[in-house]
Amino acid sequence: MSKPLEQDFVELLEQNQNIVHKVCRLYTNNYDAHNDLFQEITIQLWKAFPKFRGDSKFSTWMYRVGLNTAITLYRKSKRTINTQQFDTVQFKISAEEYDNTEEEQLKLLYNAVHQLNDIEKALVFLYLEDKNYREISETMGITEVNARVKMNRVKTKLRTILNP
Amino acid sequence: MDELELLKKDWVKSEDKFEKKSANQIYPMLLKKSSSIVKTLFYISVAELVFWIIINTLPFFMSDTYRAKHDEMYTSNTFIILSVLSYAIIMVFVYLLYKSHKSISVTDNARRLMKNILKTRKIIKYYVLYNLIMASVSMIFAFYYTSKHDPILIEKIEHFNNAQFLTMIGIFALFTIVFVTIIWLFYKLIYGILLKRLNKNYKELKKIEV
Repeated sequence: MSKPLEQDFVELLEQNQNIVHKVCRLYTNNYDAHNDLFQEITIQLWKAFPKFRGDSKFSTWMYRVGLNTAITLYRKSKRTINTQQFDTVQFKISAEEYDNTEEEQLKLLYNAVHQLNDIEKALVFLYLEDKNYREISETMGITEVNARVKMNRVKTKLRTILNP
Repeated sequence: MDELELLKKDWVKSEDKFEKKSANQIYPMLLKKSSSIVKTLFYISVAELVFWIIINTLPFFMSDTYRAKHDEMYTSNTFIILSVLSYAIIMVFVYLLYKSHKSISVTDNARRLMKNILKTRKIIKYYVLYNLIMASVSMIFAFYYTSKHDPILIEKIEHFNNAQFLTMIGIFALFTIVFVTIIWLFYKLIYGILLKRLNKNYKELKKIEV
């Protein structure tokens, strides 16, 4: 790979790295796992970069690669899975003790999102990123109608987790 | 308030809280090896190809008797045609694997990416299945051939009574079944572990379609 290409890539990634961090935030639950996934997404972005033509925005392109890596390509290490289970348990215990202040409610919400499956997390992620249903359907490879239906089911599921 | 709306509000706010990576931290990452499922799948498929080619050719290089028998057999056209055919089939599998690996692109939509990975796995599955069938067929064929042409075996079989003869066939059949089952289970285990999450996610995506 030539140097300028590498430079271009690192600059673009540095500017847009929040997207990768946000994917990691939804799919991992601790510092090590976050960095692990961040690295794998970076590798996948870099490998695919020569094919990036600039006909879409770099950020849009990153959403795809980032989510695809998190959902499909990434293989969690054992350490990561164990810690995740531990964290969930911890959150569950504390859930009963919390008041309903906004901050505590947010904590519970993030915890609930972490309990969703990989596909549901992807839908939540794209929703939080303010993507419309057309973009969600294009990224996931499903129809717009199905994206809507699934999104509603995710909302119901979140409500059930929060108010069992 | 809608739960997700509350989350969205915080999501935007918390954007600056991440520990930012500097360019100097990103450069070394580009040199690190990927641990992606596609890479593992690729190594496994290459290993499968090599494994079966070795299984098929190793006896030829290891044993003089085998080579002698082999040369003898190869005077007959049927054997030459059969082996040319079997190598042609392997080449077809190599080509199909290459093509499907090429079609896996991280920039596809999630569903197509998963579909292409699963397609690659299917090709390896058929390759293994083909080899198992071929192994069983050649075992039966070799047994039949030896029982007709090998003077030592012919003499032994002549002294067998019916029960002994059936036992021999039974043992032979059992051996074949055990061999095929072990390899099949081993194969199932590898892919079961490797692709458990992918299969689950692909089903989940397809479920939406209903």
